[in-house]
Amino acid sequence: MADRPPELLPGTLDMLVLKTLTRGPNHGYGIARHIHRVSGEALSIGEGSLYPALQRLLVAGWVRAEWTASDTGRKVRQYSITAAGRKQLARETGDFDFLMAAISRVMEGA
Amino acid sequence: MRLWNRIRFWVSRRRLDRELADEASAHREMIERQLRQEGLSAADARAAALRQFGSDLGAREQSRDEWGFPWLDAALRDARFALRLLRRQPLVTLAAVLTVGLAVGANTAIVSVLETALLNPLGIRDAGKVMVASVRIEKLQMKGSETSAVEYRELQAMTDTFSAVAASEPREWTAEAGGQPSRMLGRGVTPDYFRVFGERPLAGRFFTAEDQESVAVISYDLWQTQFGGDGSAIGKDLVLDSRPYRIVGIAPAGFHVPAGVQAWVPVVFTPRRLHQRGYNMVERVFARLREGVTPAQAAGRVNRYVAALKTSSDLTEMAHLGYFIDLDSFAHFVAGDLRRPLWLLWTAALVVLLVGCANVALLLVSRTAGRRREMAIRLAVGATRGQILRQLTVESALLGALGGGCGIAVAAIVVSLMTRLAIPGKALLELVALDRRLMLYGLAIALACSFLSGIAPAVHLLRSNQAAAMTRAARRRFQDVFLAAEVAAAVVLLVGTGLLLRSLWALEQVRPGFDPSQLATGYVLRPKNDPSFLDRLDRNLRALPGVESAALAYPVPFTGGGLTSGFGIVGREHFQGQPEFHGEAYFVSATYFQTLRIPLLRGRAFADSDTAGAPSVCVVDARFASRFFPGESPIGFKIEMYSGAAEIVGVVGSIHGDALDRDSRPTVYYSMPQISFFPSRAIVLRTSLPGGPLIRQAVKQTNSSVAVFDVRTMEDRIAESLGIRRVLGILVSVFGALCLLLAMVGLHGVVSEIVGERTVEIGVRLALGACPAQILAHFLGYGLTAGGAGLVLGLAGAGWAQQWLAGLLYEVRPFDLPAFAITALAVLGTVLVAVFWPARRAARIDPQRALRYE
Repeated sequence: MADRPPELLPGTLDMLVLKTLTRGPNHGYGIARHIHRVSGEALSIGEGSLYPALQRLLVAGWVRAEWTASDTGRKVRQYSITAAGRKQLARETGDFDFLMAAISRVMEGA
Repeated sequence: MRLWNRIRFWVSRRRLDRELADEASAHREMIERQLRQEGLSAADARAAALRQFGSDLGAREQSRDEWGFPWLDAALRDARFALRLLRRQPLVTLAAVLTVGLAVGANTAIVSVLETALLNPLGIRDAGKVMVASVRIEKLQMKGSETSAVEYRELQAMTDTFSAVAASEPREWTAEAGGQPSRMLGRGVTPDYFRVFGERPLAGRFFTAEDQESVAVISYDLWQTQFGGDGSAIGKDLVLDSRPYRIVGIAPAGFHVPAGVQAWVPVVFTPRRLHQRGYNMVERVFARLREGVTPAQAAGRVNRYVAALKTSSDLTEMAHLGYFIDLDSFAHFVAGDLRRPLWLLWTAALVVLLVGCANVALLLVSRTAGRRREMAIRLAVGATRGQILRQLTVESALLGALGGGCGIAVAAIVVSLMTRLAIPGKALLELVALDRRLMLYGLAIALACSFLSGIAPAVHLLRSNQAAAMTRAARRRFQDVFLAAEVAAAVVLLVGTGLLLRSLWALEQVRPGFDPSQLATGYVLRPKNDPSFLDRLDRNLRALPGVESAALAYPVPFTGGGLTSGFGIVGREHFQGQPEFHGEAYFVSATYFQTLRIPLLRGRAFADSDTAGAPSVCVVDARFASRFFPGESPIGFKIEMYSGAAEIVGVVGSIHGDALDRDSRPTVYYSMPQISFFPSRAIVLRTSLPGGPLIRQAVKQTNSSVAVFDVRTMEDRIAESLGIRRVLGILVSVFGALCLLLAMVGLHGVVSEIVGERTVEIGVRLALGACPAQILAHFLGYGLTAGGAGLVLGLAGAGWAQQWLAGLLYEVRPFDLPAFAITALAVLGTVLVAVFWPARRAARIDPQRALRYE
């Protein structure tokens, strides 16, 4: 397990999921694949953390879920972002940018 | 929003869990399809997908935590576990639940009476602000007496101390309800009466200074029963004694001052009444303290006023007699003589509660011993101490809830029994109800009780894993202390029971001075427009078949005693100002002494010729004669008490007029036809038939519009005067027996446990030649030591505590030997019985089997 992908910063998974959903409704597999592909295969979201995260977002009211049929006819649950979710995403993005900038300054200064 | 979602999710968590599983398998299928598109075989793709996705159980577990309230789930799990545990040991559970239930039930019932009588008297808002004024005249041994109108006027003038002052006097009417005449109790009140209690009318208005005695405020109950709760009742007439009173207002539902009253009418004092101190003493004066004035300040203000009055000239006679105006709290006034018995019962119930707690703790500790292994395993497989503590807490809570439920049921039964008790102050007890707050109280003490008893075992359990070696000794010590305390508490209550029962027995031996058997009594209200009613009634009563003798009187003994008044003896003025110059008076018809079988000692009884026109005569009792005419005959002397001077024509035996434990004052009997200013009359019949129906029949036959009330046998009246002592005796003995039973259960349990633990050791001893009798003696000795320690403690405690009982005892000296001795024997006997069975089991242990035991 030496080549394990780097761990996510705590709390950023919610943000990544919300960001992915701004592109349109998607199911769990689609979300995981999108993050994997767009991050250049650097980030691999374990299902063990993806589904609890989705539940957390549901409870918070930031995403909505409904059962639909996939292209293959399989019944899947599609998640979409809500207005409250977009607001939350903007907040988290702002915090994240601030934090990254701060970390970069520290790292460069050292 | 978040909380709402959580609740929603939590409620539908089973469906959500299924959906999540579904979703996970969809996810896996998608990975599988992807891998096959990349060229893997179907089997490889499946295996890889499984590998990549992993088990979905972890994800589901964590998701579940997101939806709901993990701690609640855990608590429910604990509760289910605890319930299983309680069911597994049904006897222990039953014992614990019943113990908590009985103790809590007794306590809640007593507190609900305390609440109505003392803590929140009659449901009056801030009752602490309401004071009751009464007259005390020390030399006449008069205390708590009603006042005349003068004291009302004086208190009302103290506007710096009281914000409102009101006087009220009794009223008693015949009301027609549904064609049936009935007696109605009321009060004549001054305008500020309701303001003193801070009440507002439910509808209409209360009285103003302009109101004359032609309007009425009715109680909520009367409004409901007679007017069906109809708002149009206001303005209608309420007919009392055939006279209309216009209803101007309705009192709020909870207003019962005084208890049993149905209507209030205005009372208007004549200027003369407002200045005649000591006359017409029928007023109850209530005063509301001004904001910021304490009861002590108010009492000081009144005392200074009275002291100033005494130095001025117009109160010299009163000053000589020791005249005072007392201010008491409203609670004091409402509960009266019930206060001490109530506090005593509350204390007894509290003792039972504590003993119950101790016993449950004992039970739980014994059970804990068997659970050490379970706890060790749970700790070993990763349960945290917090989790175990949580589980023990849930177990305690469950036990408390069950016990509390049981306790509330017990309290409901006891309260409904209590409201039916026949004791003086009955009207007050009828208001006692088990409301929601009291049920909460019961539940709260049940929970407190079970948590308290759960602490010791919990600490013990958690500690025992660290130092298992010391636990047995520690447990023994704990059990010894609790057992001794339980026995001690039982002893205190049992000694109290003994003292109370012996007083009751002594009282029941007291002869009232007349023959109370086969005497029926009842009251009628005299009709206003029928002057010959009493004569006709007297004739009709005597003509009743099966009646040996009949008489009319006011009042009959054991309904509050005779009318008290000061008096003078013509030619004996030097006695003036003596305390005994205050006597009791009864107004009786000619056949009264014969009917009650009061012996005539000297002179003559009343005759039919002692009527309104004839010279005033009276009869005195033996106590009167020996006090004022020692060694000589009082006959021929004249007494000034009621209606000018009346000549003494006879002497009769003394009676107990109101209580078996108190002598009556010197008593004077008047011939009823000569004095007739009372609205009601009592009928006394001596008959071997049921007297109540006979009385009703005779009254109906004489005048069908006359109300009959308070029909009871004389024996019932006497029993009622002892009622509070009976109740006290019964309840304290029940509490004492309960304590003893609990102590017995505890002792039995502990000794059984010890025997169980020492089976092997006992087997070895027996194998080495100890005889069974030694083993038996050893365990009996243990029981006697624990019980004996408790007994000594309890006897000492009872010796100290009996001072609280002193006022309730009759002819029983403190440190009453029989009460203490019988208690000691009973407790020792009980202890031996409780210990005997487990001890015998120990003595019968078979060494062979015991040695193979482990």
